Amino acid sequence: MLLEINGLTKYFGGLAAVRDFDMHIDEGELLGLIGPNGAGKTTIFNLTTGIYGPTKGKIAFDGKDIVGKKSHEIARLGIGRTFQLNPLFGNFTVLQNVSTSFHLHPRSSLLDIYFNTANYRRNEAYISEQSLEILKLVGLDKVKDELAKNLPHGYQKMLGIARALAVKPKLLLLDEPIAGMNPSEIDFTLTAIRKMQQQGITILLVEHNMKILDLCERVVVIDFGQKIAEGSPKDVRENKEVIRAYFGGERVA
Amino acid sequence: MNRRLSTRGRRELTKPAVYAGLVVIVALLPLFFGSPYIQHMLILTFIYIIAAVSFRTIVISGQFPLAHAAFMGIGAYLAAMASKWLGLSPWITIPLSALVTAGIGMLIGYPFSRLRALYYAMGSLFFGIGVIQIIYAGGSWTGGYSGLTGIPALLPGTISKIPYYYFFLGLALVSIIALYRIEFSRIGTNLKAIAQSHVVASSVGINESGYRILAVGVGCFFVGLAGAGYTHYNMVLSCSSFNFMATLWLVMYVLIGGINSFAGPIIGTIILIIIPEFFRDLKMFSPFVTAAILGIVVYLMPQGLVSLPQMVRSRLTERRNTKKVSHAS
Repeated sequence: MLLEINGLTKYFGGLAAVRDFDMHIDEGELLGLIGPNGAGKTTIFNLTTGIYGPTKGKIAFDGKDIVGKKSHEIARLGIGRTFQLNPLFGNFTVLQNVSTSFHLHPRSSLLDIYFNTANYRRNEAYISEQSLEILKLVGLDKVKDELAKNLPHGYQKMLGIARALAVKPKLLLLDEPIAGMNPSEIDFTLTAIRKMQQQGITILLVEHNMKILDLCERVVVIDFGQKIAEGSPKDVRENKEVIRAYFGGERVA
Repeated sequence: MNRRLSTRGRRELTKPAVYAGLVVIVALLPLFFGSPYIQHMLILTFIYIIAAVSFRTIVISGQFPLAHAAFMGIGAYLAAMASKWLGLSPWITIPLSALVTAGIGMLIGYPFSRLRALYYAMGSLFFGIGVIQIIYAGGSWTGGYSGLTGIPALLPGTISKIPYYYFFLGLALVSIIALYRIEFSRIGTNLKAIAQSHVVASSVGINESGYRILAVGVGCFFVGLAGAGYTHYNMVLSCSSFNFMATLWLVMYVLIGGINSFAGPIIGTIILIIIPEFFRDLKMFSPFVTAAILGIVVYLMPQGLVSLPQMVRSRLTERRNTKKVSHAS
Protein backbone atom coordinates (compact mmCIF):
# COMPACT_ATOMS: atom_id res chain seq x y z
CA MET A 1 0.00 0.00 0.00
CA LEU A 2 1.41 3.35 -1.01
CA LEU A 3 -0.94 5.59 0.93
CA GLU A 4 -3.05 4.53 3.87
CA ILE A 5 -5.52 6.81 5.63
CA ASN A 6 -7.18 5.64 8.84
CA GLY A 7 -9.88 7.32 10.91
CA LEU A 8 -9.06 10.73 9.44
CA THR A 9 -11.07 13.52 11.05
CA LYS A 10 -10.82 17.27 10.57
CA TYR A 11 -12.92 19.85 12.35
CA PHE A 12 -13.03 23.49 11.25
CA GLY A 13 -14.50 25.04 14.37
CA GLY A 14 -17.65 23.00 14.99
CA LEU A 15 -17.91 21.77 11.42
CA ALA A 16 -16.61 18.31 10.61
CA ALA A 17 -15.15 18.65 7.11
CA VAL A 18 -13.90 15.06 7.17
CA ARG A 19 -15.12 12.45 9.63
CA ASP A 20 -13.65 9.03 10.38
CA PHE A 21 -12.43 8.59 6.83
CA ASP A 22 -10.54 5.45 5.70
CA MET A 23 -8.89 5.00 2.32
CA HIS A 24 -5.91 3.28 0.80
CA ILE A 25 -4.12 3.46 -2.55
CA ASP A 26 -2.03 0.63 -3.95
CA GLU A 27 1.12 1.20 -5.91
CA GLY A 28 0.46 1.90 -9.60
CA GLU A 29 -3.25 2.43 -9.08
CA LEU A 30 -5.43 5.20 -10.49
CA LEU A 31 -7.96 5.97 -7.80
CA GLY A 32 -10.83 8.41 -8.10
CA LEU A 33 -12.13 10.34 -5.13
CA ILE A 34 -15.48 11.84 -6.04
CA GLY A 35 -18.31 13.58 -4.33
CA PRO A 36 -20.53 16.63 -4.58
CA ASN A 37 -19.28 20.16 -3.89
CA GLY A 38 -18.16 20.67 -0.31
CA ALA A 39 -17.96 16.94 0.42
CA GLY A 40 -14.42 17.23 1.83
CA LYS A 41 -12.33 16.03 -1.12
CA THR A 42 -9.96 18.94 -1.20
CA THR A 43 -9.68 18.86 2.60
CA ILE A 44 -8.40 15.29 2.32
CA PHE A 45 -5.79 16.51 -0.20
CA ASN A 46 -4.76 19.34 2.07
CA LEU A 47 -4.47 17.01 5.05
CA THR A 48 -2.39 14.55 3.03
CA THR A 49 -0.01 17.26 1.80
CA GLY A 50 0.42 18.91 5.19
CA ILE A 51 -1.38 22.17 4.52
CA TYR A 52 -3.36 21.53 7.67
CA GLY A 53 -2.94 18.95 10.40
CA PRO A 54 -5.81 16.51 11.08
CA THR A 55 -7.84 16.70 14.27
CA LYS A 56 -7.55 12.94 14.57
CA GLY A 57 -6.45 9.97 12.49
CA LYS A 58 -3.44 8.52 10.72
CA ILE A 59 -1.92 9.06 7.29
CA ALA A 60 0.92 6.79 6.24
CA PHE A 61 2.84 7.13 3.00
CA ASP A 62 5.14 4.30 1.94
CA GLY A 63 4.84 2.93 5.48
CA LYS A 64 5.90 6.23 7.10
CA ASP A 65 3.62 8.32 9.27
CA ILE A 66 3.33 11.76 7.66
CA VAL A 67 0.96 13.48 10.09
CA GLY A 68 2.55 16.68 11.41
CA LYS A 69 5.04 16.96 8.56
CA LYS A 70 5.21 20.23 6.65
CA SER A 71 4.22 20.54 2.99
CA HIS A 72 7.77 20.74 1.66
CA GLU A 73 8.82 17.67 3.68
CA ILE A 74 5.91 15.69 2.24
CA ALA A 75 6.90 16.79 -1.27
CA ARG A 76 10.38 15.49 -0.51
CA LEU A 77 8.92 12.07 0.35
CA GLY A 78 7.42 11.89 -3.15
CA ILE A 79 3.91 13.30 -3.14
CA GLY A 80 3.19 15.82 -5.88
CA ARG A 81 -0.07 17.72 -6.19
CA THR A 82 -2.01 20.22 -8.24
CA PHE A 83 -4.43 22.85 -7.01
CA GLN A 84 -7.94 23.77 -8.03
CA LEU A 85 -7.18 27.50 -7.79
CA ASN A 86 -3.92 29.49 -8.05
CA PRO A 87 -2.19 26.55 -9.65
CA LEU A 88 1.03 28.34 -10.68
CA PHE A 89 3.61 31.10 -10.36
CA GLY A 90 1.86 33.73 -12.52
CA ASN A 91 4.80 36.04 -13.14
CA PHE A 92 7.16 33.28 -14.24
CA THR A 93 7.26 31.89 -17.76
CA VAL A 94 5.85 28.43 -18.41
CA LEU A 95 9.36 26.98 -18.54
CA GLN A 96 10.39 28.79 -15.34
CA ASN A 97 7.33 27.38 -13.58
CA VAL A 98 8.52 23.86 -14.27
CA SER A 99 12.25 24.45 -13.75
CA THR A 100 11.56 26.16 -10.41
CA SER A 101 9.53 23.13 -9.43
CA PHE A 102 12.63 20.97 -9.98
CA HIS A 103 13.75 22.08 -6.55
CA LEU A 104 14.35 18.55 -5.30
CA HIS A 105 15.61 16.50 -8.24
CA PRO A 106 18.47 17.13 -8.52
CA ARG A 107 18.96 19.28 -5.47
CA SER A 108 21.85 21.75 -5.33
CA SER A 109 23.18 22.99 -2.00
CA LEU A 110 22.94 26.70 -1.21
CA LEU A 111 26.72 27.03 -1.50
CA ASP A 112 26.77 25.25 -4.87
CA ILE A 113 24.09 27.63 -6.10
CA TYR A 114 25.72 30.74 -4.72
CA PHE A 115 29.19 29.99 -6.07
CA ASN A 116 27.82 28.71 -9.37
CA THR A 117 29.88 25.52 -9.15
CA ALA A 118 30.25 23.00 -11.97
CA ASN A 119 27.90 20.73 -10.03
CA TYR A 120 25.18 23.42 -9.95
CA ARG A 121 25.58 24.24 -13.64
CA ARG A 122 25.33 20.56 -14.53
CA ASN A 123 22.18 20.25 -12.42
CA GLU A 124 20.63 23.31 -14.06
CA ALA A 125 21.40 22.02 -17.56
CA TYR A 126 19.77 18.71 -16.67
CA ILE A 127 16.77 20.56 -15.23
CA SER A 128 16.19 22.64 -18.38
CA GLU A 129 16.30 19.48 -20.47
CA GLN A 130 13.90 17.60 -18.19
CA SER A 131 11.55 20.59 -17.94
CA LEU A 132 11.21 20.72 -21.70
CA GLU A 133 10.48 17.00 -21.77
CA ILE A 134 7.68 17.39 -19.22
CA LEU A 135 6.27 20.36 -21.16
CA LYS A 136 6.18 18.17 -24.25
CA LEU A 137 4.29 15.48 -22.33
CA VAL A 138 1.57 17.96 -21.34
CA GLY A 139 1.65 19.71 -24.72
CA LEU A 140 2.90 23.10 -23.53
CA ASP A 141 6.33 23.17 -25.20
CA LYS A 142 5.10 25.62 -27.82
CA VAL A 143 4.19 28.25 -25.23
CA LYS A 144 7.18 27.76 -22.96
CA ASP A 145 8.21 31.42 -23.00
CA GLU A 146 4.76 32.86 -22.26
CA LEU A 147 4.03 34.25 -18.80
CA ALA A 148 1.98 31.66 -16.96
CA LYS A 149 -0.71 34.17 -16.00
CA ASN A 150 -1.40 34.91 -19.68
CA LEU A 151 -2.23 31.29 -20.53
CA PRO A 152 -5.82 30.19 -21.14
CA HIS A 153 -7.42 28.29 -18.29
CA GLY A 154 -6.98 24.80 -19.73
CA TYR A 155 -3.27 25.38 -20.34
CA GLN A 156 -2.86 26.70 -16.80
CA LYS A 157 -4.34 23.46 -15.46
CA MET A 158 -1.92 21.41 -17.58
CA LEU A 159 0.94 23.54 -16.34
CA GLY A 160 -0.15 22.72 -12.80
CA ILE A 161 0.22 19.03 -13.66
CA ALA A 162 3.61 19.65 -15.30
CA ARG A 163 4.75 21.41 -12.15
CA ALA A 164 3.62 18.53 -9.96
CA LEU A 165 5.48 16.06 -12.21
CA ALA A 166 8.73 17.97 -11.64
CA VAL A 167 8.63 16.78 -8.05
CA LYS A 168 9.13 13.26 -9.52
CA PRO A 169 6.24 11.99 -7.43
CA LYS A 170 5.53 8.39 -6.52
CA LEU A 171 2.01 9.58 -5.75
CA LEU A 172 0.36 12.36 -7.73
CA LEU A 173 -2.70 14.10 -6.32
CA LEU A 174 -4.78 15.83 -8.99
CA ASP A 175 -7.38 18.25 -7.70
CA GLU A 176 -10.16 18.60 -10.31
CA PRO A 177 -7.80 18.41 -13.29
CA ILE A 178 -10.54 18.81 -15.89
CA ALA A 179 -12.73 21.43 -14.17
CA GLY A 180 -13.50 24.28 -16.56
CA MET A 181 -11.87 22.61 -19.58
CA ASN A 182 -13.43 22.34 -23.01
CA PRO A 183 -14.08 18.85 -24.49
CA SER A 184 -10.87 18.66 -26.56
CA GLU A 185 -8.79 19.79 -23.58
CA ILE A 186 -10.49 17.13 -21.47
CA ASP A 187 -9.57 14.42 -23.98
CA PHE A 188 -6.00 15.62 -24.06
CA THR A 189 -5.76 15.71 -20.25
CA LEU A 190 -7.22 12.24 -19.85
CA THR A 191 -4.70 10.87 -22.33
CA ALA A 192 -1.87 12.60 -20.48
CA ILE A 193 -3.09 11.17 -17.16
CA ARG A 194 -3.17 7.67 -18.64
CA LYS A 195 0.36 8.16 -19.95
CA MET A 196 1.60 9.16 -16.51
CA GLN A 197 0.05 6.08 -14.99
CA GLN A 198 1.82 3.94 -17.60
CA GLN A 199 5.08 5.57 -16.52
CA GLY A 200 4.48 4.09 -13.08
CA ILE A 201 3.05 7.05 -11.19
CA THR A 202 0.27 6.27 -8.73
CA ILE A 203 -2.52 8.78 -9.15
CA LEU A 204 -5.29 10.00 -6.88
CA LEU A 205 -7.87 12.07 -8.72
CA VAL A 206 -10.41 14.35 -7.14
CA GLU A 207 -13.46 15.28 -9.18
CA HIS A 208 -17.08 16.04 -8.72
CA ASN A 209 -17.56 15.51 -12.42
CA MET A 210 -18.74 11.89 -12.82
CA LYS A 211 -17.34 11.81 -16.37
CA ILE A 212 -13.86 11.01 -15.10
CA LEU A 213 -15.07 7.80 -13.44
CA ASP A 214 -14.33 5.58 -16.43
CA LEU A 215 -10.64 6.38 -16.25
CA CYS A 216 -10.34 4.96 -12.74
CA GLU A 217 -9.98 1.37 -11.63
CA ARG A 218 -11.51 2.03 -8.26
CA VAL A 219 -13.58 4.91 -6.96
CA VAL A 220 -14.18 6.22 -3.46
CA VAL A 221 -17.27 8.39 -2.99
CA ILE A 222 -17.42 10.91 -0.17
CA ASP A 223 -20.30 13.07 1.03
CA PHE A 224 -20.45 15.36 4.08
CA GLY A 225 -16.95 14.24 5.03
CA GLN A 226 -17.75 10.53 5.16
CA LYS A 227 -17.16 7.66 2.79
CA ILE A 228 -20.48 6.52 1.36
CA ALA A 229 -19.32 4.06 -1.30
CA GLU A 230 -16.28 2.33 -2.75
CA GLY A 231 -15.80 0.04 -5.70
CA SER A 232 -15.49 -0.15 -9.47
CA PRO A 233 -16.90 2.76 -11.48
CA LYS A 234 -19.83 0.61 -12.55
CA ASP A 235 -20.76 -0.45 -9.00
CA VAL A 236 -20.52 3.10 -7.77
CA ARG A 237 -22.75 4.43 -10.51
CA GLU A 238 -25.48 2.01 -9.51
CA ASN A 239 -25.10 2.67 -5.79
CA LYS A 240 -28.25 4.16 -4.24
CA GLU A 241 -26.37 6.24 -1.69
CA VAL A 242 -24.31 7.82 -4.45
CA ILE A 243 -27.34 8.61 -6.56
CA ARG A 244 -29.00 10.21 -3.55
CA ALA A 245 -25.91 12.30 -2.81
CA TYR A 246 -25.73 13.58 -6.35
CA PHE A 247 -29.36 13.88 -7.35
CA GLY A 248 -31.09 14.05 -3.98
CA GLY A 249 -33.26 10.98 -4.55
CA GLU A 250 -33.88 7.81 -6.56
CA ARG A 251 -32.73 7.81 -10.15
CA VAL A 252 -35.67 8.76 -12.32
CA ALA A 253 -34.52 7.91 -15.81
CA MET B 1 13.88 37.79 -35.88
CA ASN B 2 17.50 36.87 -36.48
CA ARG B 3 18.57 40.47 -36.26
CA ARG B 4 16.78 41.01 -33.00
CA LEU B 5 18.50 37.99 -31.52
CA SER B 6 21.89 39.25 -32.55
CA THR B 7 21.31 42.68 -31.00
CA ARG B 8 20.25 40.98 -27.81
CA GLY B 9 23.44 38.94 -27.89
CA ARG B 10 25.48 42.08 -28.41
CA ARG B 11 23.72 43.74 -25.49
CA GLU B 12 24.66 40.82 -23.26
CA LEU B 13 28.29 41.40 -24.21
CA THR B 14 28.22 45.17 -23.78
CA LYS B 15 26.44 45.03 -20.41
CA PRO B 16 29.53 44.16 -18.31
CA ALA B 17 31.50 46.80 -20.22
CA VAL B 18 28.87 49.44 -19.41
CA TYR B 19 28.91 48.50 -15.72
CA ALA B 20 32.71 48.60 -15.60
CA GLY B 21 32.62 52.03 -17.25
CA LEU B 22 30.12 53.29 -14.66
CA VAL B 23 32.32 52.04 -11.83
CA VAL B 24 35.35 53.81 -13.31
CA ILE B 25 33.38 57.06 -13.60
CA VAL B 26 32.19 56.79 -10.00
CA ALA B 27 35.75 56.01 -8.90
CA LEU B 28 37.00 59.18 -10.64
CA LEU B 29 34.30 61.46 -9.16
CA PRO B 30 36.48 62.75 -6.27
CA LEU B 31 38.82 64.26 -8.90
CA PHE B 32 36.01 66.53 -10.07
CA PHE B 33 34.34 67.16 -6.72
CA GLY B 34 37.03 68.33 -4.31
CA SER B 35 34.51 69.65 -1.79
CA PRO B 36 34.47 67.48 1.35
CA TYR B 37 30.74 68.12 1.65
CA ILE B 38 29.99 66.60 -1.74
CA GLN B 39 32.32 63.70 -0.96
CA HIS B 40 30.45 63.22 2.32
CA MET B 41 27.12 63.08 0.48
CA LEU B 42 28.50 60.52 -1.97
CA ILE B 43 29.76 58.36 0.91
CA LEU B 44 26.30 58.48 2.50
CA THR B 45 24.84 57.52 -0.88
CA PHE B 46 27.04 54.38 -0.97
CA ILE B 47 25.95 53.45 2.56
CA TYR B 48 22.26 53.90 1.82
CA ILE B 49 22.55 52.02 -1.47
CA ILE B 50 23.64 48.96 0.55
CA ALA B 51 20.66 49.48 2.86
CA ALA B 52 18.16 49.94 0.02
CA VAL B 53 19.38 46.98 -2.08
CA SER B 54 19.36 44.67 0.96
CA PHE B 55 15.86 45.93 1.77
CA ARG B 56 14.72 44.69 -1.61
CA THR B 57 16.28 41.25 -1.05
CA ILE B 58 13.77 40.76 1.76
CA VAL B 59 10.97 42.22 -0.39
CA ILE B 60 11.45 39.66 -3.18
CA SER B 61 10.65 36.87 -0.73
CA GLY B 62 7.20 38.44 -0.27
CA GLN B 63 7.89 40.17 3.04
CA PHE B 64 7.82 43.90 3.62
CA PRO B 65 10.34 44.73 6.32
CA LEU B 66 9.45 47.93 8.19
CA ALA B 67 12.34 47.52 10.64
CA HIS B 68 15.17 47.77 8.16
CA ALA B 69 16.61 51.04 9.48
CA ALA B 70 16.33 49.62 13.00
CA PHE B 71 18.53 46.70 11.90
CA MET B 72 20.96 49.25 10.48
CA GLY B 73 20.88 50.81 13.96
CA ILE B 74 21.55 47.43 15.57
CA GLY B 75 24.64 47.01 13.39
CA ALA B 76 25.73 50.59 14.06
CA TYR B 77 25.31 50.47 17.83
CA LEU B 78 26.87 46.99 18.15
CA ALA B 79 29.95 48.16 16.27
CA ALA B 80 30.11 51.40 18.27
CA MET B 81 29.82 49.67 21.62
CA ALA B 82 32.21 46.86 20.73
CA SER B 83 34.92 49.30 19.70
CA LYS B 84 34.28 51.98 22.33
CA TRP B 85 33.74 49.77 25.38
CA LEU B 86 35.57 46.57 24.46
CA GLY B 87 38.36 48.22 22.49
CA LEU B 88 37.94 46.03 19.38
CA SER B 89 39.34 47.30 16.09
CA PRO B 90 36.76 48.66 13.60
CA TRP B 91 38.07 46.13 11.09
CA ILE B 92 36.75 43.42 13.41
CA THR B 93 33.62 45.16 14.66
CA ILE B 94 32.26 45.84 11.14
CA PRO B 95 32.03 42.20 9.96
CA LEU B 96 31.22 40.99 13.46
CA SER B 97 28.26 43.33 13.96
CA ALA B 98 26.99 42.49 10.47
CA LEU B 99 27.00 38.80 11.45
CA VAL B 100 25.31 39.45 14.79
CA THR B 101 22.70 41.66 13.09
CA ALA B 102 22.00 38.81 10.66
CA GLY B 103 21.68 36.44 13.63
CA ILE B 104 19.23 38.73 15.40
CA GLY B 105 17.31 39.20 12.15
CA MET B 106 16.99 35.44 11.65
CA LEU B 107 15.97 34.91 15.28
CA ILE B 108 13.24 37.52 14.91
CA GLY B 109 12.51 36.22 11.42
CA TYR B 110 11.67 32.76 12.76
CA PRO B 111 8.35 33.65 14.43
CA PHE B 112 7.73 36.30 11.77
CA SER B 113 8.21 33.80 8.94
CA ARG B 114 4.68 32.61 9.69
CA LEU B 115 3.30 36.12 9.26
CA ARG B 116 2.64 37.17 5.70
CA ALA B 117 2.26 40.44 3.81
CA LEU B 118 0.65 43.08 6.04
CA TYR B 119 1.17 41.05 9.22
CA TYR B 120 4.91 40.82 8.64
CA ALA B 121 5.03 44.54 7.93
CA MET B 122 3.23 45.35 11.18
CA GLY B 123 5.24 42.85 13.23
CA SER B 124 8.54 44.21 11.97
CA LEU B 125 7.34 47.81 12.41
CA PHE B 126 6.79 47.27 16.13
CA PHE B 127 10.03 45.36 16.47
CA GLY B 128 11.83 48.37 14.98
CA ILE B 129 10.15 50.75 17.40
CA GLY B 130 11.14 48.41 20.24
CA VAL B 131 14.78 48.47 19.14
CA ILE B 132 14.84 52.28 19.27
CA GLN B 133 13.28 52.21 22.75
CA ILE B 134 15.95 49.77 23.93
CA ILE B 135 18.69 52.04 22.59
CA TYR B 136 17.07 55.00 24.38
CA ALA B 137 16.91 52.99 27.59
CA GLY B 138 20.53 51.86 27.29
CA GLY B 139 21.85 54.65 29.52
CA SER B 140 25.57 55.36 29.22
CA TRP B 141 26.11 52.11 27.26
CA THR B 142 24.24 53.40 24.23
CA GLY B 143 24.26 57.09 25.07
CA GLY B 144 20.46 57.13 25.30
CA TYR B 145 18.77 60.27 23.99
CA SER B 146 21.96 62.28 23.69
CA GLY B 147 23.60 59.73 21.37
CA LEU B 148 27.01 58.11 21.39
CA THR B 149 30.18 60.10 20.71
CA GLY B 150 33.88 59.38 20.56
CA ILE B 151 33.55 56.21 18.51
CA PRO B 152 36.92 55.05 17.12
CA ALA B 153 37.47 55.94 13.46
CA LEU B 154 37.96 53.29 10.78
CA LEU B 155 40.93 55.16 9.33
CA PRO B 156 42.42 57.14 12.23
CA GLY B 157 44.65 60.03 11.27
CA THR B 158 43.07 60.77 7.89
CA ILE B 159 41.36 64.12 7.62
CA SER B 160 40.63 63.69 3.93
CA LYS B 161 37.41 61.96 2.98
CA ILE B 162 38.91 60.32 -0.07
CA PRO B 163 40.13 57.09 1.62
CA TYR B 164 36.65 56.70 3.11
CA TYR B 165 35.17 57.35 -0.31
CA TYR B 166 37.02 54.38 -1.80
CA PHE B 167 36.35 52.17 1.21
CA PHE B 168 32.58 52.69 0.95
CA LEU B 169 32.61 52.48 -2.84
CA GLY B 170 34.27 49.07 -2.46
CA LEU B 171 31.88 48.00 0.29
CA ALA B 172 28.87 49.01 -1.83
CA LEU B 173 30.22 47.18 -4.90
CA VAL B 174 30.90 43.98 -2.98
CA SER B 175 27.43 44.11 -1.39
CA ILE B 176 25.71 44.82 -4.70
CA ILE B 177 27.50 41.93 -6.43
CA ALA B 178 26.79 39.56 -3.53
CA LEU B 179 23.08 40.44 -3.50
CA TYR B 180 22.84 40.35 -7.31
CA ARG B 181 24.17 36.81 -7.30
CA ILE B 182 21.53 35.76 -4.80
CA GLU B 183 18.68 37.27 -6.78
CA PHE B 184 19.72 35.82 -10.14
CA SER B 185 20.38 32.29 -8.98
CA ARG B 186 17.99 29.50 -7.99
CA ILE B 187 17.90 31.05 -4.50
CA GLY B 188 16.35 34.24 -5.86
CA THR B 189 13.96 32.26 -8.07
CA ASN B 190 12.80 30.28 -5.04
CA LEU B 191 12.27 33.49 -3.06
CA LYS B 192 10.20 34.95 -5.89
CA ALA B 193 8.26 31.70 -6.20
CA ILE B 194 7.39 31.85 -2.49
CA ALA B 195 6.28 35.47 -2.88
CA GLN B 196 3.93 34.50 -5.73
CA SER B 197 2.37 31.51 -4.03
CA HIS B 198 3.75 30.01 -0.86
CA VAL B 199 1.32 27.09 -1.06
CA VAL B 200 2.49 26.09 -4.53
CA ALA B 201 6.14 26.65 -3.60
CA SER B 202 5.86 24.32 -0.59
CA SER B 203 4.09 21.73 -2.72
CA VAL B 204 7.21 21.36 -4.89
CA GLY B 205 9.44 21.01 -1.84
CA ILE B 206 10.65 24.56 -1.27
CA ASN B 207 10.99 25.20 2.45
CA GLU B 208 8.98 28.39 2.77
CA SER B 209 9.93 29.53 6.24
CA GLY B 210 13.55 28.47 5.73
CA TYR B 211 13.89 30.62 2.63
CA ARG B 212 12.07 33.54 4.23
CA ILE B 213 14.43 33.44 7.21
CA LEU B 214 17.38 33.19 4.82
CA ALA B 215 16.22 36.31 2.98
CA VAL B 216 15.83 38.20 6.24
CA GLY B 217 19.26 37.01 7.41
CA VAL B 218 20.96 38.11 4.20
CA GLY B 219 19.12 41.47 4.18
CA CYS B 220 20.02 42.11 7.83
CA PHE B 221 23.66 41.10 7.29
CA PHE B 222 24.14 43.74 4.63
CA VAL B 223 22.16 46.47 6.36
CA GLY B 224 24.14 45.71 9.53
CA LEU B 225 27.31 46.03 7.48
CA ALA B 226 26.15 49.42 6.20
CA GLY B 227 25.28 50.56 9.72
CA ALA B 228 28.58 49.41 11.21
CA GLY B 229 30.55 51.06 8.42
CA TYR B 230 28.60 54.29 8.96
CA THR B 231 29.45 54.16 12.67
CA HIS B 232 33.20 54.15 12.16
CA TYR B 233 32.98 56.82 9.50
CA ASN B 234 30.65 59.23 11.31
CA MET B 235 32.10 58.54 14.80
CA VAL B 236 28.90 59.91 16.33
CA LEU B 237 25.62 58.01 16.56
CA SER B 238 22.16 59.33 17.18
CA CYS B 239 19.21 57.07 17.69
CA SER B 240 16.96 59.12 15.43
CA SER B 241 19.01 58.05 12.36
CA PHE B 242 17.46 54.60 12.66
CA ASN B 243 13.86 55.26 13.62
CA PHE B 244 10.71 54.52 11.66
CA MET B 245 11.15 57.68 9.58
CA ALA B 246 14.53 56.35 8.45
CA THR B 247 12.89 53.09 7.37
CA LEU B 248 10.29 55.07 5.45
CA TRP B 249 13.08 56.85 3.58
CA LEU B 250 14.45 53.45 2.55
CA VAL B 251 10.97 52.48 1.38
CA MET B 252 10.91 55.69 -0.69
CA TYR B 253 14.31 54.97 -2.26
CA VAL B 254 13.10 51.51 -3.27
CA LEU B 255 9.64 52.55 -4.49
CA ILE B 256 10.77 55.57 -6.47
CA GLY B 257 13.67 53.70 -8.05
CA GLY B 258 11.50 50.70 -8.89
CA ILE B 259 10.73 47.83 -6.54
CA ASN B 260 10.56 45.22 -9.30
CA SER B 261 14.05 45.75 -10.58
CA PHE B 262 17.45 45.08 -9.05
CA ALA B 263 18.77 48.48 -10.14
CA GLY B 264 15.69 50.28 -8.78
CA PRO B 265 16.88 50.86 -5.21
CA ILE B 266 20.31 51.99 -6.44
CA ILE B 267 18.83 54.61 -8.76
CA GLY B 268 16.21 55.66 -6.20
CA THR B 269 18.83 56.20 -3.52
CA ILE B 270 21.08 58.25 -5.80
CA ILE B 271 18.22 60.45 -7.01
CA LEU B 272 16.66 61.01 -3.60
CA ILE B 273 19.92 61.88 -1.88
CA ILE B 274 21.17 64.13 -4.66
CA ILE B 275 17.99 66.01 -5.72
CA PRO B 276 17.37 67.48 -2.23
CA GLU B 277 20.91 68.90 -2.33
CA PHE B 278 19.83 71.31 -5.06
CA PHE B 279 17.07 72.61 -2.81
CA ARG B 280 19.00 72.93 0.42
CA ASP B 281 17.29 76.17 1.39
CA LEU B 282 14.00 74.31 1.24
CA LYS B 283 15.21 71.41 3.37
CA MET B 284 12.24 71.74 5.72
CA PHE B 285 10.00 70.97 2.75
CA SER B 286 11.89 67.86 1.68
CA PRO B 287 9.17 65.43 2.82
CA PHE B 288 6.75 67.32 0.54
CA VAL B 289 9.18 67.26 -2.35
CA THR B 290 9.71 63.53 -1.85
CA ALA B 291 5.97 62.92 -1.69
CA ALA B 292 5.56 64.93 -4.89
CA ILE B 293 8.30 62.90 -6.61
CA LEU B 294 6.68 59.66 -5.46
CA GLY B 295 3.32 60.86 -6.77
CA ILE B 296 4.74 61.78 -10.15
CA VAL B 297 6.71 58.54 -10.45
CA VAL B 298 3.77 56.35 -9.46
CA TYR B 299 1.51 58.18 -11.88
CA LEU B 300 3.85 58.27 -14.88
CA MET B 301 6.10 55.24 -14.31
CA PRO B 302 4.53 52.56 -12.13
CA GLN B 303 7.69 50.46 -12.49
CA GLY B 304 9.82 53.26 -10.99
CA LEU B 305 12.52 55.51 -12.39
CA VAL B 306 14.43 52.48 -13.60
CA SER B 307 11.85 51.99 -16.34
CA LEU B 308 12.39 55.51 -17.75
CA PRO B 309 14.83 54.58 -20.59
CA GLN B 310 12.65 51.71 -21.73
CA MET B 311 9.57 53.96 -21.67
CA VAL B 312 11.30 56.58 -23.77
CA ARG B 313 12.46 53.91 -26.20
CA SER B 314 8.99 52.41 -26.63
CA ARG B 315 7.48 55.91 -27.06
CA LEU B 316 10.02 56.64 -29.80
CA THR B 317 9.39 53.40 -31.69
CA GLU B 318 5.65 54.02 -31.30
CA ARG B 319 6.00 57.46 -32.86
CA ARG B 320 8.23 56.13 -35.64
CA ASN B 321 5.72 53.39 -36.40
CA THR B 322 2.77 55.78 -36.49
CA LYS B 323 4.77 58.01 -38.87
CA LYS B 324 5.46 55.01 -41.10
CA VAL B 325 1.78 54.17 -41.11
CA SER B 326 0.78 57.74 -42.04
CA HIS B 327 3.42 57.76 -44.82
CA ALA B 328 2.14 54.51 -46.18
CA SER B 329 -1.45 55.65 -46.29
